[in-house]
Amino acid sequence: MSEQSLGGGGADGRRSLVARLNAGLRSLPPAYGVVGVLLLLMPLLANDFFLFQIFGWAFILGMIALSLMFLAGYGGMVSLAQMSIAALAGYMVAILGDSGATAISLGWPWWLYVPVAILVAAAFATFIGALAVRTEGIYTIMITLAFAAAFFYFTRQNYTIFNGYSGFSNVVPPRLFGVNWRSPVAFYYLSLGCAVLSYFAVVYVSRAPFGLALQGIRDNPRRMAALGFNVVAHRVAAYTFAAVIASVGGILLVWQNAQISPGTAGLPAVIDILVIAIVGGLVRPIGPFIGAFIYVLLRTFSPDVLEALALPGDRFKLIIGLGFLVVVYWSPDGVLGLWERWRSRRRRRRDPLMDRGSEP
Amino acid sequence: MNDIIRRNPGWTVAIALLAAAVVWLIVAPWSAGMEATFGRKQIFLNALFNGITLGALYFLVASGFTLIFGLMKNVNLAHGSLYLLGGYLGFEISEATGSWLFSFVVVFIAVAMLGVVLQYTVFRRMEGEDLRQTLVTIGISIVLADIMLWLWGGPSYQILTPDWLRGPVDLPLIAAVRDSGEVIYLRYPAVRIAILVASIALGVLMWLALNRTRIGMLIRAGVDDREMLAASGVRVQIIFMVVFAFGAGLAGIAGIVGGTFQSVVAGEDMRFLLASLVVVIVGGMGSILGAALGAVLIGLAEQLGSVYAPTYSVVFTFLIMALVLAFRPQGLMGR
Amino acid sequence: MSTLETRSLPPRSVSERLAAAGTANALELRGVTKRFGALAALVDVTITVKPGERRAVLGSNGAGKTTLFNCVTGDFLPTSGTIRLFGEDVTNFPPHERIRRGLRRTYQISLLFKGLSVIDNVYLACRGVSRGRFSLIRPRKGDPLLQSARELIEAVHLNDSAATRVSELSYGQQRQLEIALALAGAPRFVLFDEPAAGLSPKERAELVEILTNLPGHIGYIIIEHDMDVALRVAESVSMMHNGRIFKEGLPSEIENDPEVQELYLGGGGHG
Repeated sequence: MSEQSLGGGGADGRRSLVARLNAGLRSLPPAYGVVGVLLLLMPLLANDFFLFQIFGWAFILGMIALSLMFLAGYGGMVSLAQMSIAALAGYMVAILGDSGATAISLGWPWWLYVPVAILVAAAFATFIGALAVRTEGIYTIMITLAFAAAFFYFTRQNYTIFNGYSGFSNVVPPRLFGVNWRSPVAFYYLSLGCAVLSYFAVVYVSRAPFGLALQGIRDNPRRMAALGFNVVAHRVAAYTFAAVIASVGGILLVWQNAQISPGTAGLPAVIDILVIAIVGGLVRPIGPFIGAFIYVLLRTFSPDVLEALALPGDRFKLIIGLGFLVVVYWSPDGVLGLWERWRSRRRRRRDPLMDRGSEP
Repeated sequence: MNDIIRRNPGWTVAIALLAAAVVWLIVAPWSAGMEATFGRKQIFLNALFNGITLGALYFLVASGFTLIFGLMKNVNLAHGSLYLLGGYLGFEISEATGSWLFSFVVVFIAVAMLGVVLQYTVFRRMEGEDLRQTLVTIGISIVLADIMLWLWGGPSYQILTPDWLRGPVDLPLIAAVRDSGEVIYLRYPAVRIAILVASIALGVLMWLALNRTRIGMLIRAGVDDREMLAASGVRVQIIFMVVFAFGAGLAGIAGIVGGTFQSVVAGEDMRFLLASLVVVIVGGMGSILGAALGAVLIGLAEQLGSVYAPTYSVVFTFLIMALVLAFRPQGLMGR
Repeated sequence: MSTLETRSLPPRSVSERLAAAGTANALELRGVTKRFGALAALVDVTITVKPGERRAVLGSNGAGKTTLFNCVTGDFLPTSGTIRLFGEDVTNFPPHERIRRGLRRTYQISLLFKGLSVIDNVYLACRGVSRGRFSLIRPRKGDPLLQSARELIEAVHLNDSAATRVSELSYGQQRQLEIALALAGAPRFVLFDEPAAGLSPKERAELVEILTNLPGHIGYIIIEHDMDVALRVAESVSMMHNGRIFKEGLPSEIENDPEVQELYLGGGGHG
């Protein structure tokens, strides 16, 4: 997204929303337009499996990883608790709505349980944030990892609310407007819509006072305090904001799988979100989605590729781990970082006089 | 210490009273009324000792972690993998040679060497880049975990206690009093007592080495100011390598201990990494005493919790961690 | 520079401030001591600055001047003593609470947001002391805070570089930006920490102009090694040595005081 200066473009600040949206869309690089059209028309090109399992899953994982990217990229806080927050929202949908565990599920209507699920997950995230932000850097990773583990163990051992080891099955989206939202095409558009909304929300907020302040706190918390900002409050609020995005991802996840269990937020899944965010790149909001696509494709197809090469198919975890290692060792900015560096190198080769530094 | 006591007289009295009550609970025989409310004293004592010895195991793993991170500011999230590798190797070697003690030696050396490799390829290259170190070590732990899964599969392995440590030992604590007036003393597995004693000895030695020897002083000084240390002619890197190797080796032999107490199985790497994290968060980074305190606290919480409140024993551990984070974020013994 | 007076969203109305300005001291330190282990960086420091007063705190390196500033802003908690800001006891307040009561500070080494543009930096400073810090809505073109930010940039002669990233500014421009940040919102009292450090003579003259032309109700303390700048922008001077205030007076008195000359001016002293 091109860097919009504060105050937006145009002469009159009181333009209509539509006019401003138009200007915003026009300022997008053309690549986005192409990708956007492709995504909108994808159901004509891809089969059901691709729409539901590949794209759907990638959008969901992308959203959860986006919440991590928001905290890490803009806030400087790497939180490993995002998957757990997403899972909590998913659990709440199962517990407050309908599921196979009729003894526990309350059967609330969707317009009640969806916002409540998001609220509960956001409250949990605020709690974690309040405890995690008073320490620096690496401690945040450790503390959030510990909370993620606590959540996993708790959901596995608690039977009254979380139904323990088995979790909840038969959790499906409500039938709105006569549409089965779990059918491949419908789910594709649902998850695409949510992903696009969350992406643009993050981009927009990053230049709003809240987002700017967060970046200031990332770069120089002492200076921000000396400018009048309550650094701790901002960081905690960032956790709350990120939780909303993660929650939506979690709700879509439970609907996609039609079930949720402790393993959904188990440690492997928690680490996978980190891998996705890092591989994609923490600098721009599109990174998590790129990372999610790479992950989903690897995860789905590497067993087959491995077996075609006469290697044991179970070792795809090894492939992902090695790939992650390679990326972190040689390109800490992830795939996006590689892309940026390649682009700037090409630009420089073309016209050394016109070289300008890459955008932040 | 005296400072703390002088500044918080109320807390000191409360803690002293609590400690006295606990000691009395342990040493004195329980009346019938007490047994009715708290359950049998034998169960309590068993849970207590299980907790303390589990704490000893956690201390072995966590002390290596706190040394490496607290002292050297190197984040090694592959620490759990070192533990698990030590367990698997320990199993193989004790099976092959029939000697439990010999496996300690071999595993310590092997895992220490792996630690040196890690230190050289990862931590030296990424000096000061905390996040990157973390991510690389996470990647390494993923790769190592999968390789170990490949080699040893999913089943759990039990390292056999050597003959000379097998069986129970009588402890001078009253477990129960029969109606006839005969006193029954607590019988507890010898191997666990042995590990407890060894861990305490090791902890004391480490503390002394760090705080009372010249090398320890050098290490601590080197952490605060590397340039000064290098300028004074001491080989900084070699010292750090030695410390890292030692910490890694500790994790490895902790794997053997864990494999004897419990078992070696895939997934233990994560479990013990988490335990190290929680112990260090609770006890405070870089403090041997803190690691000991945190380990015992967590071990007790886990064991007593699993006996008296089985559904929520896990919660106790994380509750302690949350409380420490809320009221003393630097850890109980942290600075 | 009258634009600086009509700052948007002050914590209290201008008339209230002017009224209060007459009643309480702007800054009052009583017996402030700060120890770092065995090292006493500040010893029993008592300073009183009236509203609108311009004071210079001078002393050799290690005298404790920056530690003094750090205690006043709240970066450190004093080991003992009290700090009052406009009559309010702020000894235990976190930094952001003090800033919201009108205190501001510049740093010896510029603490700027290198990755953001000049206008972003100043906008953040304006935001920090007004409402809407958590706002999720981007500011529109006519946003009053944006206006204030632009006026502030004009006041420190950085108009042409408003959209430039701070990392691309010259050293002198960064120092000017540092001052702009301190003047955001409705400052009542500013701490300038060696603002002239590293500036060319022309830039120093500009700095003196900016400082002397500040509105009368804004008081400040300036730490400076450049005696020229310090004595020209201050109406009173406090001399520090080894963590204590050992002399206070008018600039002319201090300049000619033999003790001061021996310890600091002539002797080229060390801490």
